[in-house]
Amino acid sequence: ISRFMSVNKLKYFFAVDTRYVLKKLMILMFPYTHQDWEVRYHRDTPLTPRQDVNAPDLYIPTMAFITYILLAGMALGIQKRFSPEVLGLCASTALVWIIIEVLVMLLSLYLLTVHSDLSTFDLIAYSGYKYVGMIFTVLSGLLFGSDGYYVALVWSSCALMFFIVRSLKMKILPSISSDSMGMGSNAKPQLRLYITVATAVFQPIIIYWLTSHLVR
Amino acid sequence: MAAVFCYPSVFTSRFDNFNTDFYQSSYSVDDQNQGGYGYSNSENPYNKQYGQYDYSQPTGYPSPGMMQPQQPYTGQIFQPTQTYTPSASQSMYSNSFEDEPPLLEELGINFDHIWQKTLTVLHPLKAADGSIMNETDLAGPMVFCLAFGATLLLSGKIQFGYVYGISAIGCLAMYCLLNLMSMTGVSFGCVASVLGYCLLPMIILSSFGVLFSLQGMMGIIITATIIGWCSFSASKIFISALAMDGQQLLVAYPCALLYGVFALISVF
Repeated sequence: ISRFMSVNKLKYFFAVDTRYVLKKLMILMFPYTHQDWEVRYHRDTPLTPRQDVNAPDLYIPTMAFITYILLAGMALGIQKRFSPEVLGLCASTALVWIIIEVLVMLLSLYLLTVHSDLSTFDLIAYSGYKYVGMIFTVLSGLLFGSDGYYVALVWSSCALMFFIVRSLKMKILPSISSDSMGMGSNAKPQLRLYITVATAVFQPIIIYWLTSHLVR
Repeated sequence: MAAVFCYPSVFTSRFDNFNTDFYQSSYSVDDQNQGGYGYSNSENPYNKQYGQYDYSQPTGYPSPGMMQPQQPYTGQIFQPTQTYTPSASQSMYSNSFEDEPPLLEELGINFDHIWQKTLTVLHPLKAADGSIMNETDLAGPMVFCLAFGATLLLSGKIQFGYVYGISAIGCLAMYCLLNLMSMTGVSFGCVASVLGYCLLPMIILSSFGVLFSLQGMMGIIITATIIGWCSFSASKIFISALAMDGQQLLVAYPCALLYGVFALISVF
């Protein structure tokens, strides 16, 4: 597997500690009070998530994904609709949607010649953060019924949209100033804005799509 | 055994005052006498170096380089009379039989260590010693897995397959995660061993499930406590063995997920 991806690069995303995870979860659920969204660098290399709360990580998305699958199994079990095949179906559907989203993002960034330093893992991380919102939504749907589900859906969608817009804005848009040597790179800054906003709007749709059948 | 005789050219070139037949005949004599034990225990220092290879196994033939003696190859070594006396060989053979390590030691089952590790699991609040996980020991976890399956069987759930499948997948996932999260890596055996030992409180839970039903409020509280206990002790052992700081809750959470699945099997 070390031929497919550099393990060291992957290890960067897992260098987390408890404090970072707690703060990040707070930001994901309530991003309105967070002031500084800039990812800090240390001599050209980004700081590890341990030292910088704005850095993306892969621990939270992975754990959130697995928790979501188990929670889906439990929700179906409570409604007596459980079978291992359904669990596998749920898991593969969610995985496919992540892959689609990451591919679309990569493709659009490439086609519009946006030179950003977003690697594939960064995109996977950012698109995996919505699972935290999904877990919150499903839990409140299970505990408080259909009303709780919709309230939580609206809350986590807004929070997630805000989070994605603020984070990606830092990464996609400032690259205008770095290569402003012509090349049409500062042409269509609106397109970059559109990309960011489209990503953000995509989140609630997907959250609703993947969770509504669990809270019937 | 015949593979050793593939190197006669080496001998003829180096020790041309001895014919290989002489070498072969003495060798076959030893071969007749209990597969080379007499050979390995004879006094000559050259034989001691030579005798490290266990000639009773067909795969263990030495490389030609090892054939070089540290002293001139005088030939007294392979005197047929020296090693041929049956009584001498038999006494040497019986010596080596008594010198063999005891069976448990050979199998690597060390009851003292098993007990020590079990105590570490049973006292979750006591600090763990990082060196106990140096030798990976799968005998204890195997016993605990079987005991878990047995207690499930007592409550009427015949689900050995699920237990084994989930533990295999869970061990694999924890192995990947710990390798990514820690500075030093872990081996798969170490992960499997720790997760197997911390299955012990689950056995207590499923034996409760034999006597009382676990689906009431009381059952949920007990289940949550036991899951917390399992994952806390597993993360404690991992943290101390891998020297990861500030990550105990992060390691405890996936352990809790894994043991939660086990608890789901025992409750429902």
